[in-house]
Amino acid sequence: MSLSLFVLQIVNGIEYGLLLFLVASGLTLVFGVLGVLNFAHGSFYMLGAYLAWWLSERTGSLLLAILLAIPAMVLIGVAVERLAIARLYARDHLSQVLLTYGLVLLFNELQRALWGNDVHGVRTPAALAWTMPLGETQTWPAWRALTALACVCIGVAMRQIVLKTRFGMRVRAGASNAEMVEALGIDVRRLFAIVFSAGTALAGLAGMLAAPLTTVYPGMGENVLILSFVVVVIGGIGSIRGAFFGALLVGLADTFGKVLLPGFASAIVYAVMAAVLLWRPRGLLGPAFEGR
Amino acid sequence: MPEVLLQTEALTRRFGALSAVDGVSLAFEEGQVHALIGPNGAGKSTFLNLLSGELRATAGLIRFRGADVTRTAPDRLSRMGLGRTYQTANLFPELSCADCVWLAAQSRLPSSMSFFRSAERYAQVGVRAARALEWCGLAARGDAIAGRLSYGEQRQLEIAMMLATEPSLLLLDEPLAGLGHDEALRIVELLRKVARGRTVVLVEHDMDAVFSISDAVTVLVDGRVLATGSPSEIRASAAVREAYLGEEIP
Amino acid sequence: MKRRLILLAAAAALGAVAFSGDRFWLQFLGKAMIGSILAMSLDLLVGFTGLVSLAHSAFFGLAAYLLAGLSNRFDLVNPIVTLPLCVAFAAGCALIIGWLSLRATGVYFIMVTLAFTQMLFYLFNDSPALGGSDGLFVKARPIEGRAAAYVAIWTAVVLVYLLLSRMLRAPYGRVLEGILGNEQRTRSLGYPTRRYKLVAFVIAGALAGLAGYLDATLHGFVNPAQLGWRQSGLILVTVLLGGKGTLYGPALGALLLAFIEHYGERVTAHWNALIAALVIAVVLFLPRGLAGLVPGTRRA
Repeated sequence: MSLSLFVLQIVNGIEYGLLLFLVASGLTLVFGVLGVLNFAHGSFYMLGAYLAWWLSERTGSLLLAILLAIPAMVLIGVAVERLAIARLYARDHLSQVLLTYGLVLLFNELQRALWGNDVHGVRTPAALAWTMPLGETQTWPAWRALTALACVCIGVAMRQIVLKTRFGMRVRAGASNAEMVEALGIDVRRLFAIVFSAGTALAGLAGMLAAPLTTVYPGMGENVLILSFVVVVIGGIGSIRGAFFGALLVGLADTFGKVLLPGFASAIVYAVMAAVLLWRPRGLLGPAFEGR
Repeated sequence: MPEVLLQTEALTRRFGALSAVDGVSLAFEEGQVHALIGPNGAGKSTFLNLLSGELRATAGLIRFRGADVTRTAPDRLSRMGLGRTYQTANLFPELSCADCVWLAAQSRLPSSMSFFRSAERYAQVGVRAARALEWCGLAARGDAIAGRLSYGEQRQLEIAMMLATEPSLLLLDEPLAGLGHDEALRIVELLRKVARGRTVVLVEHDMDAVFSISDAVTVLVDGRVLATGSPSEIRASAAVREAYLGEEIP
Repeated sequence: MKRRLILLAAAAALGAVAFSGDRFWLQFLGKAMIGSILAMSLDLLVGFTGLVSLAHSAFFGLAAYLLAGLSNRFDLVNPIVTLPLCVAFAAGCALIIGWLSLRATGVYFIMVTLAFTQMLFYLFNDSPALGGSDGLFVKARPIEGRAAAYVAIWTAVVLVYLLLSRMLRAPYGRVLEGILGNEQRTRSLGYPTRRYKLVAFVIAGALAGLAGYLDATLHGFVNPAQLGWRQSGLILVTVLLGGKGTLYGPALGALLLAFIEHYGERVTAHWNALIAALVIAVVLFLPRGLAGLVPGTRRA
């Protein structure tokens, strides 16, 4: 592997990892604060991508489509939380898995009914349809660079919000102890709705950013969902920092796997997960294992 | 000189910066009831959880019959003869009393990885379970669902389950906590009966009960041993009075 | 007693279909009964041990793929050889995956079993040597003839039911009951609970393998979608619909779901939406499943 190809793979891996981080951070946040394991999270990614495609066809501009789609995703998040997820807070994991699995089926059918089974390409905005040279032979498309930059900015913003604001304090309190939040007199219903719709929007945004890179196709949410689970398992559930490192690890492992061991690329990611589990059963940044 | 059944050497457990149990060295002699007392947060429950293997020690040693069991899992310890009860009733809330005790008694079979013979046909398990229930005054309550028992009865069931595993060392974590006066008296009587000929480590706040059943008493404060001695020595100790008893006993 | 009569009648009726020789019903009910085996064996984990596994479809698929491989590459079809091989293979994989997954608990366990399932899915889906996304035909089947395959499936359902109900009444089943109710306490009573859970996982995996073997025998075909997580989700739905913690519930739930799927497909092209609505409704309004509607039953 030449040096420039190697650098390109690193860049690709990090970029993919950052996109995964957007999805996984929502998943881990929703589990950490609401205590709900949301299988429909991948569907939000898919919905985001389809909305980006559909709206950009209508408006002729992907950027405008994204601006319109984000509030739409927030609304979808609020609706799903109020109508379905809110009924799950006191229920066991099995109910959560099954109900959100039902939502996955529902969203898949919805996508099929509204947009059909075709694969759609999404064009990058003309202003960003140029590439940067990377080494002698490789190039880096501007849209990809922008995507990576956006993910980094969102990650930093999330960190600032969670660590520095009053709202972030409530989120952290909610993640560590839901009863305490109630005792502090925080409106849990509102907190949960905000966190869930934020998670929905993050997953949707990841789908919108990925749409020009991967095309838009049925079932695109599921691969991402499973990989986000792997990210969360590796990073430690409930930990955004863990999701960040886990996502980069998975992104790099997946990218290099595809180059070095084609055919087994997807298996490598899971091998990494198995290794982490053997070493730390609750993830890299999860609570240390205690035999209790 | 009576034999030491269980011994800890500089046993320590830290939670972050807090040392819940801090260098505790104690010896528990065969056939004795040894009480641990101390104010809330003194580390008594943590100490018991270390002994029963449910928490890992940060440092120090635990010896049971001379063998190092510091890192032994709770299920191994149970099969080595260590039985315990819990502070809050820790039962199988959906099972009947008889089934709870049955499960406890069945654990003494050489192996429960038995797939084809109906459990009811293990007669000796049934006998042991019935005996434990009867001992604890629950013979008539076999069909009652554990989760619906009164608080006192749940304690009786806890003790019955423990006895059904035929332990040689009993760890009792506040068996009287939360009980009314009459219920407490009933459990004290039961404990007295249970303790006969057995080695007991008792954590309890009820001083009258502690001084009436125990052969030895250790006072823990802030995770450390303040004093160990016979009940009368502990009662007489000025340091103990000052640190602890003065607040509880007028 | 009444429940037993209903079960006997259902078993006898299903058995009698073998003599009808009707191609459609043999295929349809054969598939439905394979669903019963899957649902009962998954319920051993979900309803009786409290382990929500999404790896069940993986063991189903692994055994089916092994049969296809044995048949296509080695011309090995004799069920006396292939059946034990395929079931043992599924059990072996369950041992490895279970050993790793059971290091995790709660939601971690769910996610890890899901991840392993998808790993296997992509392994089969992405490698042309294993048939790729189209799957594989089973050239020669262990049991030729639909009626014979149907009888084999019917026998398997009955045996699996008897085996599991026997196991659950044995000391082993009592320990599982303890783990379901309070694992930590079961452990402190002297049971190495992780080992008991692993054994349950392996037994369930082996039975899922049996189901996969029978399915490949009946249809002569395997594809990676049968192995994916959505399939696992569907088996979970069957268990919940029938009633977790009972054996007859999931067994009958599988039959019911097969009918819903069949007639739903006729009524609307979007029958998946129908299933989705059903799943959501059952979770929200009928958490104990259809068996929960039968008064006075708790355990099979």
